[in-house]
Amino acid sequence: MTGHDLAFLVVALVTGGGALLTVTSKNLVHAALFLAVTLSGIAGVFLVLAADFVALVQLVVYVGAVAVLFLFGLMLTRAPIGREALDNQNRGLGIAVSGGLFVVLSVLVIGAFGGTTAAEVGGPRVGDIGMVIFNTWVLPFEVLSMLLLAALIGAILLARRETGDSGEEQAPTRIDMGTAPSMEAERMARLEGGDDQAELTAGGDPGPAAGRGEGRA
Amino acid sequence: MATTSPPGVGLLKGLGVTIKQMFKPAVTQQYPHVKPDLPPRTRGVIALMDENCTVCMLCSRECPDWCIYIDSHKETVPPAKEGGRARTRNVLDRFAIDFALCMYCGICVEVCPFDALFWSPEFEYSEYDIDKLLHEKGKLREWMDTVPPPPALDEGADAPGEVATAIEKANQELEAAKAKAAEEARAKEQGEQAPAAGDAAAAAPAEPEVKAGEIDQETFDRLIAEGKSERIARSKAKAAYVKKEKQRLKEQAEQQAAAAPAAEEPKVEAGEIDQETFDQLIAEGKSERMARAKAKAAYVKKQKAKLRAEAEQAGGGDAVEAPAAEGSGEAAAGEAAPSAAPRKADIEVEGAGEIDQETYDALIASGKSERIARSKAKAAWVRKKKQEQMDAEGDA
Amino acid sequence: MSIAEMANAAAGLAQFSPAPSLLEIGDSFWLSAVLKIAVVLAVFFVVPLVVGYMEHKVMGHQQARLGPMEAGPHGSLQLVADGIKFIQKEDLIPSAADKWVFAIAPGVAMVPAILIFLVLPLGPGIWGVDFELGLFYALAVGSVTTLGILMGGWASANKFSLIGGLRAAAQLIAYELPLILAGIAVALQAGTLSLVGIVEAQSTFFIPGTEINLWYLFPQILGFGIFFIAAMAELARPPFDMPIADSELVFGYMTEYTGIKYAMYMLTEYAGMVSMSALMVVLYLGGWQLLPGVPMPGCGGSGNIFDCNALGVGLGVAVTLGKIMLLTFLMVWARTTYPRLREDQLQRFSWLVLVPLSLLNLAIIAVAKGVF
Ligand code: SF4
Ligand code: SF4
Repeated sequence: MTGHDLAFLVVALVTGGGALLTVTSKNLVHAALFLAVTLSGIAGVFLVLAADFVALVQLVVYVGAVAVLFLFGLMLTRAPIGREALDNQNRGLGIAVSGGLFVVLSVLVIGAFGGTTAAEVGGPRVGDIGMVIFNTWVLPFEVLSMLLLAALIGAILLARRETGDSGEEQAPTRIDMGTAPSMEAERMARLEGGDDQAELTAGGDPGPAAGRGEGRA
Repeated sequence: MATTSPPGVGLLKGLGVTIKQMFKPAVTQQYPHVKPDLPPRTRGVIALMDENCTVCMLCSRECPDWCIYIDSHKETVPPAKEGGRARTRNVLDRFAIDFALCMYCGICVEVCPFDALFWSPEFEYSEYDIDKLLHEKGKLREWMDTVPPPPALDEGADAPGEVATAIEKANQELEAAKAKAAEEARAKEQGEQAPAAGDAAAAAPAEPEVKAGEIDQETFDRLIAEGKSERIARSKAKAAYVKKEKQRLKEQAEQQAAAAPAAEEPKVEAGEIDQETFDQLIAEGKSERMARAKAKAAYVKKQKAKLRAEAEQAGGGDAVEAPAAEGSGEAAAGEAAPSAAPRKADIEVEGAGEIDQETYDALIASGKSERIARSKAKAAWVRKKKQEQMDAEGDA
Repeated sequence: MSIAEMANAAAGLAQFSPAPSLLEIGDSFWLSAVLKIAVVLAVFFVVPLVVGYMEHKVMGHQQARLGPMEAGPHGSLQLVADGIKFIQKEDLIPSAADKWVFAIAPGVAMVPAILIFLVLPLGPGIWGVDFELGLFYALAVGSVTTLGILMGGWASANKFSLIGGLRAAAQLIAYELPLILAGIAVALQAGTLSLVGIVEAQSTFFIPGTEINLWYLFPQILGFGIFFIAAMAELARPPFDMPIADSELVFGYMTEYTGIKYAMYMLTEYAGMVSMSALMVVLYLGGWQLLPGVPMPGCGGSGNIFDCNALGVGLGVAVTLGKIMLLTFLMVWARTTYPRLREDQLQRFSWLVLVPLSLLNLAIIAVAKGVF
C-alpha cells in the first residue's frame, strides 16, 4: 500500500461516510452539511488523483457555492433553528432507489474503465485544460453554457412568476379592504403607475390585480 | 440628492474629514491618571455643613427618593436674657444620605434654608457593596472641604444678603456713633453758655422716632390703585414708611457727621478678610472656604470695633461706652436727652463668650454639669455687664 | 501522447515549474513542511494582531479618541490581553443550540483563512508553495469560510444569528463574483494563476520602449477598485458589515459566541483582512517590489526581484508587510468614514454596479492583451 493508496482510502472513507450520513441524518441542515463534507471529500479524491484544478473547482463551485446555497435556501425557508428534526417515512423506497442506482453506475463505470491502469498519477495542467476546452471541445462547452443560461432564465421566471400560473403556489392572501376602496384603488394605481417604490418590492408582490385574480380563479 | 458636485466627491470629502481628525489631538481625558477638570457646579456628591443644620427636616421631606435620614433630639437652652423663656433647640444626631438611592436631583440642596447642604464635585466614592453607599454625617462633613467657593459675583451685582446686611449694620453703627459724637460736641459747645441739657436737645434737629403703626400714605394709595388687597397694601406701606424714615434719619445723621470733626470714614468693605484669623485657621487645618468665611466675619467684627473706638475719640473721649444704634434713631435721641433713662434692651454687651467666674464656680460646686454651668455663667456675665453700663450711664 | 503533451504541442506552452521557496530545507519534505507551517501560523497569528492594533489606534484618533492606552506602551498589547481574556472566558453554548455544529463552525471558518497564507508570497522566496493555481486556490479556499459563518449562524438557535448568517452568505455569494472577475483580469494579463508568477509578470511588464516596469494597479485601476470593495464586502468589514450590523442584529452570527470561539471568528476576520490585502499587493501592487521601475537592492533574477541575498529578502518582506498595512489602513479609514449600507443597497451595488464593471474591466484587458 503506497502513500497514495492510504490518502485515497482516507478521503474515500470521509466521502462515503459523509454521503451515508447525508441520507440518514434526520435534520435537514445536518444533511446539507454532510453533503458539504461529501463534496469536499470528492475534491480530496480529485486532489489524490493530482487533478488539482478540478479539485479546486469542486471546492469553489460545490462547497463554496452549491452547498452554501443549499443551506441558504433551507435556512431561509424551512429549517428549524437549532436541533429540531425533520423526517419522512420513505426509508425503504429511498434505500431501493439509491441501491439500484449504485449498482447500475458501478457496473457502467467498471465496464467502461475497468481495465485501465495508470502507470503514474499526474493530471494535466490548467493551461492544458484550457487549451483542450477551447480548441477541441469548444462546441460542447458552449452548449453547456447555453444550458446554464437556460437554467438562469428559468430561475428568474420562477422567481418572478407574474402570472401566477406555476401550479400549486397559492395566491398571497388578499387583505380585505372592506368598503373603503380608496386605499386599494390608490395602491393599484401606484402599482400600475410603475412607481419606484412598487418596483422595489415587486419580487414578492402579488403583482397587478389581473394576475392575482387569475391565480385565485 | 440635489448636490451639484459629481458623484463620489462626497465620499472623498468624508475621507478628508476623518483623516484630518486623525491628526488633531484627541479629546480623551486619561481619567485615572489625569483628574478630569469638572465645572464648579458639578453634582458629584452632597456635602453637609452640620453646624448650619437646624434639623428642620425640609431636605428629608422634599427628597423624592426619601434617602436622607435625620435623627435629632431636643435640648433646652437657658434664656438669653434674664426673665426670658428657656428655649429648646434641636441637636443633630444623625444625618445620612443613601447615595445608592439618591438621584442627584439637587432638591435637598435647593430647599435647605440654612445653607447646610452643598454640591461638591467629588465623585470618587464608588463601592463594591451597595450598602456602603450610605454615608453618615462625618463623611458628609468631610466632603464639605471639597466644596469649591461660590463663583464670583458679576460686576456691579448686589452683595449677597448676609454680607449686605452686615455691612449695612456696621455702617449704621458707625454713623450713629458719629452722629452722637457730633451731637455731644455741639451740646458741649452750647452747654458752656446754656448748661441745660434740655436746651441742647431742643436745639438739635427734631429726631422723630420711627413709630410702628405709621404707614406711608403714598405707597398705600399706589398699591390700592394697583388693585392690591388692603392688607397687603397696608403692610407694604408700613414697610415703606419704616424704610423712608430710616433713610431720613440716616441722612440727618450724615449731615451732622459731616459737620463733626471726625472726618475719617473707613467703611467696612465686603470681601475683605482678616488675614491673621485666616492664617491661623488654615494652620489649624480648616478648609480654605471655612477659614475665609470666618476670617471675613472676624474682619467685619474688628472693623466695627475700630470704627466705634474712633467714634468715641471723636466724641471727645467720652467715658460712656457707645450704645449700638440698632437701625433706629432711638439711641441718638436718648443720648440727646439724658434725662430719659436708657432702657436695658438698648445696651449691647460686647464680648460674648466671657463667663462670670464667680457664678461658674458656684454652680460647679452645687453639682451642675460643666455645660450648664458655663452657659449660666455666661448669662450671668452678660447681666452684670449690662448692669454696669446702666449704672455708668445713670451716673452720666 | 497524453492530452497535456498534445495541448502543449499545439500551443507551444511551457510547462509550469514552481519557483523554489526559501523555506525548503534541503531535500527533507517533513522539515520544510514544519518550517512552512510554522511561518504560516506565525504570520496568521501575529500580523492580524498588528492590524487589529492599528485599527484600534487609527479609529480612535479619527474619532478624536486615543484608543487603547493601558495594556502595554500606548496600549500595544491590548489585543494580546484580549486574547488572554478570551481564553479565560467560560465557553457558553446556548441550550437550544446544535452543539456540534455550533462548536465546529468557527473552525470551519478559520481553517480556510489559515490555508490561504500557504500560497501568499510575502517576499522573495518567502512563501509556502508556489502553486500553479495560486490565485484560484486563494479564492476557492476563501469561499469555504462562508460555510463556517452560515453554520454558526444557524446553530446558535438565535434569530439574530440566523439572519446574520444568511446575510453573510448572501453577501459572500454576491461579492465573490466581482472579486473573482477582477482577479481573472489580472491572471489574464499576467498569463498565469501563480501568485509568484503574477508578481514576476508585473516586474517584467514594461512601459513600451522603456525599462520601467508597471504594476497592474495602473492598467487595472478599475479592477483594483472593484477588488478592494469586493474584498471589504467579502470580509464583512464596515461599511459592508450587514452580517454583524450591531445596531440591528446584536452581533449577527457571532451573537451567541463567547470566549475562544468568538476569538476564532474575530481572528478569521482580521486574518482575512491581511490575506485579502496580501492578495491585492500581489495582484496589483507588484508584490515585494519597492516602487515601479526600481530594482530591488540585492536581488537579481527575472525582473530583478528574485535570487535575493539576505538584505533583499528582509527588505522584500518589509515592503510586502508595509503595503499590507497600507491597504488595511485604507479599510479602516473607510470603516470610520462611511455608514453601513442597507442590505438591498448592498445587493444592488454588487449585481448592478460591480459585476458589470468587472465584466467591462475583463473585456478591456482581454482586448488590450489581444491587441498588444
Ligand atoms: S439630590 Fe435629590 S435624591 Fe439626592 S438626596 Fe437630595 S433630594 Fe434626595
Ligand atoms: S434642610 Fe438644611 S437645615 Fe433643614 S434638616 Fe436639611 S440640612 Fe438641616
